[in-house]
Amino acid sequence: MLLEAQNVSKAFGDFHAVSGADLSVDEGDIIGLIGPNGAGKSTFFNCLAGDTMPSGGRITFAAHDVTTASPEAHARLGIGRTFQVPATFEDMTVLDNVMVGAFLRHAHRKDAREYARGIVELTGLNPVAHSRARSLGTPGRKRLEIARVLATNPRLMLLDESLAGLTPTELQEAIRLVRRIHEMGVTIVIVEHIMEVIMTLTRRVLVFNQGHVIASGRPEDVVRDETVITAYLGHGPRRHRSGT
Amino acid sequence: MLLLQVIVGGLLLGAIYALFSSGLTLIWGMMNFINFAHGEFVMLGMYVALLVVVWLSGGPAVFGFAAAVALFVLGVIIYAGLIRHVMRGPMLAQILSTFGLALLLRYTAFFIFSANFVSLPQTSLSGTVDVGGILMPLAQLVSGVLAIVLTVGLHFMLTHTTIGSKLLAVSEDRSAAMLMGIRPNRMQALAWGLSAGAGGIAGALMAISYPWSPSVGETFGLTAFVVVALGGFGSVPGALYAGLIVGLIQAVSAYWLGPIYKDIVVYALFVALLWLRPQGLMGKA
Amino acid sequence: MTTSKTFQPNILVLAACLLIYPLVFSDAFYRDIGVTFLLAAISASAWNIVGGYAGQVSVGHSMFYGIGAYAPLLFYQHFGWPPIAGIPIGIASSIALAVLIGAPTFRLTGHYFSMATIAVAELIRIFTGTWDFAGAAIGLQGPAVARGWWDLTFRGELPYYYIFLGVLAVLLYITYAVEQRRFGYYLRAIKAGERAARSLGVPVRKTKIEALMLSATFTSIAGSLYSIKTGFIDPESGFGILISVQMVIIAALGGAGTLFGPLVGALILIPLQTATNTWFGGSGSGLTYILYGGIIVLIARFEPGGLFELWDRIAPARWKRSHAA
Repeated sequence: MLLEAQNVSKAFGDFHAVSGADLSVDEGDIIGLIGPNGAGKSTFFNCLAGDTMPSGGRITFAAHDVTTASPEAHARLGIGRTFQVPATFEDMTVLDNVMVGAFLRHAHRKDAREYARGIVELTGLNPVAHSRARSLGTPGRKRLEIARVLATNPRLMLLDESLAGLTPTELQEAIRLVRRIHEMGVTIVIVEHIMEVIMTLTRRVLVFNQGHVIASGRPEDVVRDETVITAYLGHGPRRHRSGT
Repeated sequence: MLLLQVIVGGLLLGAIYALFSSGLTLIWGMMNFINFAHGEFVMLGMYVALLVVVWLSGGPAVFGFAAAVALFVLGVIIYAGLIRHVMRGPMLAQILSTFGLALLLRYTAFFIFSANFVSLPQTSLSGTVDVGGILMPLAQLVSGVLAIVLTVGLHFMLTHTTIGSKLLAVSEDRSAAMLMGIRPNRMQALAWGLSAGAGGIAGALMAISYPWSPSVGETFGLTAFVVVALGGFGSVPGALYAGLIVGLIQAVSAYWLGPIYKDIVVYALFVALLWLRPQGLMGKA
Repeated sequence: MTTSKTFQPNILVLAACLLIYPLVFSDAFYRDIGVTFLLAAISASAWNIVGGYAGQVSVGHSMFYGIGAYAPLLFYQHFGWPPIAGIPIGIASSIALAVLIGAPTFRLTGHYFSMATIAVAELIRIFTGTWDFAGAAIGLQGPAVARGWWDLTFRGELPYYYIFLGVLAVLLYITYAVEQRRFGYYLRAIKAGERAARSLGVPVRKTKIEALMLSATFTSIAGSLYSIKTGFIDPESGFGILISVQMVIIAALGGAGTLFGPLVGALILIPLQTATNTWFGGSGSGLTYILYGGIIVLIARFEPGGLFELWDRIAPARWKRSHAA
């Protein structure tokens, strides 16, 4: 067991964004979190990443209790995350962005630079390595976020709609990239609205609705689940994100 | 009896602190933006009052109104010409914009009116009244009470009127407000007008009883920071309580320790707050 | 990174100019401008580490400057120590104060830090004005006659000029070294987005506090150099808000968060200030500060990146290409 979330809850005042969610992730898994907007998956995701402190429950990662650990501690332990709205360092070059991640495991600039170059190459960002992040479009930024996290050498990567807003071609490329990262031995948890991504990439999905996990299992089974269809697909399939 | 008089005087001045601080807290709460020039709005309100008295021989009602209107207009202009362009920019630009504005306003006043202290000529509000055995200057009493009424009025406006709910909608979710047909720019301009207007009228009210110079803006600006930090960032009722508390603490420490210590005590309180309860005494955790 | 490379050939020219300046302009008036320029460049470069690179905008850096300025004369006045002995004491106190302010405020957004700095600087200024041990409102004096190398008191401007130039060179070298190291990358990442930086394992609060400590150290040294050279300090010239203003405006004018931004800013502002003081008849009329305020507002509104950023945008592509290699 790499990551285990037990009975995780998060309330904002009277509003229960997440109530009693469980998730266990094995090394090498690739798991999807889906659900309609406001279903609590983003809040749950932020609890896993250490950005939001759960109001109840327990999260362990590789035998460490990380329930109340800081985001920095999560990164050090090997949990990396991307942001739904890309949070790239706009005034820094693509390579420098990736180097910030690489510095986590490589204290010296030369080593960090070398390692970052490898990641930039791998993620296909080489042509823009010396451009400022602000000059990239959405696909480039999403890719840069993945590269930056990858440079921290994570064991578990949490992807928050990293594939949303891409054209079909870009989407295929991005799916290939995620698959590649997975093959490198990184465990992946992905929040996504695009069913195509969930169906092609993941082996197991968790469906959130109104703060509860209402179903979990293989993607092809879950999409046939009655409760899921009424709760989620009943709202009409959505290809693109809008904030949760 | 003297201490009681000091306490009442402190509370009355604190009411005016509450009024101008509610303007600062409004902007902070709505836009997550700190205005370093807010004290200068108060200072300008004082000079507007002076000009109205000297040129037009206007009474307190006239110059109070004039200061509110003049500063309201200035606030809107500053929003449209400066703040709108920097509020989503880098932190450096946000802070520099109003910090530079503070210098500009302070030293422009300095250039025009000189560094000397001035005070208003006698107004119709001179004389003292006996409040339950304590003799209070009429002007302080009237302006203190009026400041409380205006602060409560501002709070009422924000919570009980259509305009208020539009302002709140913009502060909570700009894009959602836009979908509801509210124009965030107009609302934010209005907020800056109200904020500066509150500062201006507070200045006019203080000008009746106290002498001032262009440098008072810096002191009032810092006082407003303390009040807002104490009352919770973004809370008008919080500013009201905190303003009264700060006024009281100032008056009492001036009485016990000596006048030069009144600001030291208040700023030290601010630093202590940042250490102990940064979200403010009445703010949410 | 690119800026330092682009400007490499110019550094030697700049260094040579600064080295021979007082020999060419031997008039006391020009030497005085030179010394003022260096001091302003040192304080603004020190501010730049935390305000520019880390993006934590201090508007009360005069607190460190003032502590640095008071320490030498305080110990000279009361214990007869050579003023230079006050420098390390000033540094130690400034670092302690940096931790005291940074620790609580850096948990919160940048606004809190800015508000805290201005409030603390003001608190110290008013307090010093009432504190008899520190000369209260009148201030403190240094040795009446210049005594020599052993306590950094000289009669002429020339030794001060070269000492200040040396300190500036050390500070710029340290800043350059910071830029090249993990620390510098972390500072820029924090400025660009704290949440993202944190998610990549950047220890945000610790890094900010360290930046403030480094910044406070050199600001304090600048203050010490000032008071040792002038042999006089009072609350306004040590802790006054205009001291802080000058650091911010010089760094922001040249380019906050760039190595040579503060130097360029000082190169423009100090001669300008001297000129306006002459035209407007001293700083008494306030016109100089109206100008300051105007410049700050214009930078914030139109070019928060300062002149370096402006140059990057408007410099003809051809020029840049020929130098970028």
